Amino acid sequence: MGVDRTVTRQILRRLAMLVPTVWLVATLTFVVVQAVPGSYADAIDHPRMTPAMRDAVRTRWGLDRPVHEQYALWLRAIATGDLGTSYVTRRPVSETLARALPPTLLLAGTALALDLLLGVLLAVAAARRPYGRVDRLLTVLGLGLYGLPSFWVAGLAVLVFAVGLGWFPASHMYSIGADRLAAGHRFVDLLHHLVLPACCLGVVGAAGTARYLRASLLDLRDARFVTGLRARGIPERRITWLHTLRPALAPVVTLLGLSLPVLVGGSVVIESIFSWPGMGNVLLTAAQARDVPVIMAITVLGATAVVVGNLVADVAYAIVDPRAREAE
Amino acid sequence: MHTTATRIAVAAILVLAGCGDGRGPGPAPDEAVVVIGAIADVQSWNPFLSESQFTDWLLQVVYPKLAIEQTDYRDHPPSFEPALASEWSWSEDGLELTLVLQPDARWSDGIPITADDVVFSLEVAGSEDIGWYAADVAASLTHVEAVDEHTVRVRFSRRDPYAFMRVNDTPIVPAHAWGDVPVSTWYDVDWSDRVIAGGPFRMVRHVPRQEIVLEPNPGYWRPDHPRLDRVVFRIVPSKTALLNQLLAGGIDFMYGIPPTDARLVAESPDLDLVSFPDRSYTHVVWNLGYGPLEDVRVRRALAMAVDRQALIAAVYRGDAELSSGPVLSTMWAFNDELEPPPYDPEAAKRLLAEAGWIDADGDGVREREGNELRLELLAPSESEDRQDIARMVATDLERVGVRAEPRFQEWGTVVARLESRDFEAVVNRWVEPTRVELREVWHSAAPGAPTLNYAGYANPSVDRLIEEMERLPDLEAQRELVDRVQELIVEDQPYLFLVETRKLAALSTRIRDADVNDASPFFNLDEWWVSTAP
Repeated sequence: MGVDRTVTRQILRRLAMLVPTVWLVATLTFVVVQAVPGSYADAIDHPRMTPAMRDAVRTRWGLDRPVHEQYALWLRAIATGDLGTSYVTRRPVSETLARALPPTLLLAGTALALDLLLGVLLAVAAARRPYGRVDRLLTVLGLGLYGLPSFWVAGLAVLVFAVGLGWFPASHMYSIGADRLAAGHRFVDLLHHLVLPACCLGVVGAAGTARYLRASLLDLRDARFVTGLRARGIPERRITWLHTLRPALAPVVTLLGLSLPVLVGGSVVIESIFSWPGMGNVLLTAAQARDVPVIMAITVLGATAVVVGNLVADVAYAIVDPRAREAE
Repeated sequence: MHTTATRIAVAAILVLAGCGDGRGPGPAPDEAVVVIGAIADVQSWNPFLSESQFTDWLLQVVYPKLAIEQTDYRDHPPSFEPALASEWSWSEDGLELTLVLQPDARWSDGIPITADDVVFSLEVAGSEDIGWYAADVAASLTHVEAVDEHTVRVRFSRRDPYAFMRVNDTPIVPAHAWGDVPVSTWYDVDWSDRVIAGGPFRMVRHVPRQEIVLEPNPGYWRPDHPRLDRVVFRIVPSKTALLNQLLAGGIDFMYGIPPTDARLVAESPDLDLVSFPDRSYTHVVWNLGYGPLEDVRVRRALAMAVDRQALIAAVYRGDAELSSGPVLSTMWAFNDELEPPPYDPEAAKRLLAEAGWIDADGDGVREREGNELRLELLAPSESEDRQDIARMVATDLERVGVRAEPRFQEWGTVVARLESRDFEAVVNRWVEPTRVELREVWHSAAPGAPTLNYAGYANPSVDRLIEEMERLPDLEAQRELVDRVQELIVEDQPYLFLVETRKLAALSTRIRDADVNDASPFFNLDEWWVSTAP
């Protein structure tokens, strides 16, 4: 009972920090975006743009007002839940984000599941005989994969599996003409498109997850309760899956909690390489065009996700590892 | 336990991999479909709200134009072929234009396209609420009226050799559907719900950031056109990804191939590489208010120090032309007797010494009165070729004792610095219209007035010639003045004129009759067809 109260207090304290943290991050972003010379009006790359027209664009969006006024306007709007209007599409930012969130959730969610699943399998395989042949092979492969930049991995995956072998499509969520397919076929088409980007995100993630999990599995190998289990003649495999895996997962849970921002913020690199219509894709084009309302909205969402992600990680950590609760 | 899981995962992946050839269901075999790769999405389905060139090009096949400007601007001012206007004529005094519309033209909702649509479009084009980039059309119009259902009369305040061109820049939009939306609210409207086509194609589907699907507009006036059953624009935000898909056969057409990738396309048996002048020139704009650059001898010396041929060979693989002055060498108005400074580093050194810039301390950089001859050479970080140019120009300048430091910043930042004249030198690029308009860039504007004269160039003779030129109603009469302006600018060297670049496009070999040119990659999209022969 007392333990639960500690956890609740922890949650409440974190939640109280949510608003100031998000405000701070958003304000810093606003300052950074404004500190760079030029604005949306300057970034318009149309051969017929004249300085007078750029002035008109500035007036239309209030970009000619002093920065503190723009900030006050933005703050007042965001406080009432108004994310503003995109300079580029002239549609409400909320509309753009509402359209971009589901594809990102689908991609990042699949990748996360893959990350966890593959990470656990690889870690267990590696930890079975530490420094054995399998372990060493997985270490080399895992570290290699983890160290590679994701745009490179994705580019290579496209070249091999899409361009070379033709097994998977190189981009987009659906094939051309998929709108005319029956729902079932359309779903398969979607899964088919999901494989490459989800693997690029998930497999690289799994390499990291496996490293952490392997280390904590090895830490527990000689724990007294494990020795006790072994003494009772319980098979090694059963010990791993039923007894040591759960406590060993604690650091991994923290890692997963920290990946929540990617879950809602999208991966800029993977989404743009695979033309996935998610939040990362939106953020990239917005940043290129200096579409400040969109950049700010995604920042606010991302900052919220970081705080919530940390919170979820801590709570989950407390659940998988009772020691974390007692530390309070 | 995990072996079962692995087996399931492998099986699932194999099943999915077997779902197709990586290109999905695709079109039925008897359909003529072309897939075009686009780097950006359409910005608005209302052409008057476009601030993007791709949007302009795309909407030109959805909303009709009165006539099609031909690409014959090399030989003479551009001529026009009939489009929505089947014929037109001028009054004796050259102030009144009468246009007769195609009688069979219809919007995609079946309503006929009439003179009212043209009048409506010309009216909204000049609206201050919109601020369309070609709104200057309205300035010279005094009266627009629908004479009858298919005849429009336009009256101008003065004779202007480009009057028809300006009127024709205006896309024709549906008055019956858009007329009831107050123009002041146009920026708040979702136009994707209101697309009514009058050109060759209509929009059947638009999934933002994914694809745009066009199909023939049944009301298009040209019989048996368009010849394609469907055009699909696949939006791919990365150029590398776009190129990969082109090479893999996922898309049939891509515009703007980077010169460094031209070889890949040229070697592909399924692709044709098309190269054409893109009506632009790349140059270094000097800030004439920056101490050392005030002296014309220094500017001439810098021009003589740069090996532009080497630059063309290295940056553009030889596929570009030398630029010598403010009018493109591909334009009818180009003065081919210009004498641009030759490449001569030794002469450049002598000229710099004559101007008082001498390397007295032997550190490789010239100085005068204790100041080193150095400048920051700015280039936009989005443009690889301009960054390469900045590096090469800096190296050439270094050889004659000028320290140029290349710096790369975002395009928006570069523009802001140009406009506030907070720069020393910028590798810039102008895309030129097909009319000769020299005022914006070369006339010395009143202080504080918005201008494209970033150099701060002010030559009273050039100012006078430009003003005189604009008063002449006839392009032939302007010719002599345009020639003289070019000579004066080349003498003054306010820019380091570098190269006239070319655009590269790749087309699948099965696409036939495509005329991809500098006016638009989709110039004659209604005439494209695909060969079914292997």
